[in-house]
Amino acid sequence: MSWLDSIRLAVGGMWHNKLRAFLTTLGIIIGVGAVIVLVSIGQGATHAVSARIETLGTNVVFVTPTAGTPFSERQVATIRAVIPFAVQVVPIVDAHGPIATAVTSGSAAVVGTLPDYLKTGALSLGTGQFFSVDGLSLDPRIAVVGANLVQTLFSGRSPVGQSILLLGQRFRIVGALNPVGQGPGSSQDNTVFIPLTTASTLMRTNQLSQVIIKTASPNQAALVANLLTNFFTNRVGSNGVTVASEDQVLQTLQATRATMTRLLTGTAAIALVVGGIGIMNIMLVSVTERTREIGVRRALGATREDIVLQFLLEAMTISIIGGLVGIGVGAGMVLLAPDWFHTAATLSPMAMVLAFVFSAAVGVVFGLYPAFQASHKDPIHALRYDG
Amino acid sequence: MIHLEHLSKAYPFGTQTLWALRNITVTIAPGTLAAVVGQSGSGKSTLLNILGGLDRPTSGQYWLGGQDVSGFDADTWAHVRNRTMGFVFQAFQLIPTLTAWDNVALPLVYRAVPLAERRARAREVLTMVGLDHRLSHHPAELSGGQQQRVAIARALVGDPQVLLADEPTGNLDTDTGTEIMRLLKHIHQTGRTVVIVTHSSEIAKECNQVISLRDGHMTDGGGSV
Ligand SMILES: Nc1ncnc2c1ncn2[C@@H]1O[C@H](COP(=O)(O)OP(=O)(O)OP(=O)(O)O)[C@@H](O)[C@H]1O
Ligand SMILES: [Mg+2]
Repeated sequence: MSWLDSIRLAVGGMWHNKLRAFLTTLGIIIGVGAVIVLVSIGQGATHAVSARIETLGTNVVFVTPTAGTPFSERQVATIRAVIPFAVQVVPIVDAHGPIATAVTSGSAAVVGTLPDYLKTGALSLGTGQFFSVDGLSLDPRIAVVGANLVQTLFSGRSPVGQSILLLGQRFRIVGALNPVGQGPGSSQDNTVFIPLTTASTLMRTNQLSQVIIKTASPNQAALVANLLTNFFTNRVGSNGVTVASEDQVLQTLQATRATMTRLLTGTAAIALVVGGIGIMNIMLVSVTERTREIGVRRALGATREDIVLQFLLEAMTISIIGGLVGIGVGAGMVLLAPDWFHTAATLSPMAMVLAFVFSAAVGVVFGLYPAFQASHKDPIHALRYDG
Repeated sequence: MIHLEHLSKAYPFGTQTLWALRNITVTIAPGTLAAVVGQSGSGKSTLLNILGGLDRPTSGQYWLGGQDVSGFDADTWAHVRNRTMGFVFQAFQLIPTLTAWDNVALPLVYRAVPLAERRARAREVLTMVGLDHRLSHHPAELSGGQQQRVAIARALVGDPQVLLADEPTGNLDTDTGTEIMRLLKHIHQTGRTVVIVTHSSEIAKECNQVISLRDGHMTDGGGSV
């Protein structure tokens, strides 16, 4: 039997029971779709944070409140007062949301911050200007956009002076950043910077996401980290606020990523095994139903191998189609409806490839037993079977 | 040529052994139209299944075309059947999800004949049995006689040397049965060996060899008429 005929036969078998095949693929579709979405959210979340760390370079200390710890401008003032020498202290509010011009739309990471952010050296201004204290007092609805957004929203034309719709409000663009490009910090290209107070107002909270402290030297950074650790441990206990240097944050981030990957791998495995059991179940039913057909095929010259291949390929067709549709659904959700996830989701090609390979493997693993059962039926008994 | 020597078939039946065929020695020369007759349970189907390699003898030898095929395994038999034999079953045994056309082409699928050639050949034999106007019908949309003609077309599509038919007219009315018999005789006239299991003495009379079974024994020499 030729390969083409085997595939034709497998697809035909599935086609004949469309509803059943669809319900069986649903398990795989949901499993694969969920994996794609979860990985994308996980990667997006860590991307946004790592971009900031990577563009800021060394000599930086991050103060991050743990969930539930109140942390506002008041604490920033305290930090400024505690540190004995001049440094940049920049509060950050992180958000994410839809962004639109009159003609196109998309989604972007939003960073609410102070004009001092520019002085940390993390940003490289391309055209226009960063918001200044003066500008802020005049107009709170101004924004500075990353290079990718200039491409996607304005087709590369200068956006300065244009207006955009962000988080449901109209903003005037005052500047655009140079592209970071491939590699570390690249997601800054998809970020919009707006004034801190505007971000706080729009998010309806005065809670800060993070405070960045840029010092003049590694020694100074270590000193500041030590000082603030002691200070906050006394004030809010050791768990309320995390004080970390760039190295430490990157390490934590990597550990978080590893944990997240393990968690997602586990979830994916469970989802796909459940889907695989569904496939095995249906294939066993199908083999029983088609006992006579198997007998006829054997009588007409099908070898055991032909029968194994027929049912194995049918199981694989179900799982592969399920995998492809699952990737489509997952990727579609990430790309078309990013607002559902409330974070910057980044589509991971690696996750898509792995999900596809796994779903095909599920078809093989869970299709083997029914296929071997089919091939070991005695032709004479099979021809007599009535069911 | 088909030659069986001291061939027996036993089925275990509880603690006992049930002999479906006992010490059968018979030769069917190429181009013979042979009938296998006998009462129900006398071993006719068992004999035909062994001739087609669907069942294995318990003892004795089976020579096919000068070769001892008694020891062939299931997959070797699949090849032999596919290339040299055609099977017609009492219960038609068409695949319900396939059209008449695809049912007939099925043996050629397992010979890796390309699709276009398969379909052309299947249409040819369906025309021969007078069913070229029912190509795209499914078995459920055909009468009993038409289904049996599709089954015969399927047995002929691979141009086999031996045609084995287990009560091909058993499920049909007399007229349709006569029509099917005429078709089988026509196939015999083209030079093939045809072995028909039948209950009808009318049919047996028309054959040039009659193998008569009772309780698994041959009741005569099985000689040619
Ligand atoms: N798989 C089996 N297991 C046990 N006994 C069997 C089996 N197949 C057939 N037999 C027995 O072998 C004997 C011959 O059966 P067979 O089917 O060859 O008869 P037959 O001549 O074709 O009968 P009929 O005219 O009713 O089709 C019967 O007694 C039957 O009970
Ligand atoms: Mg019988």
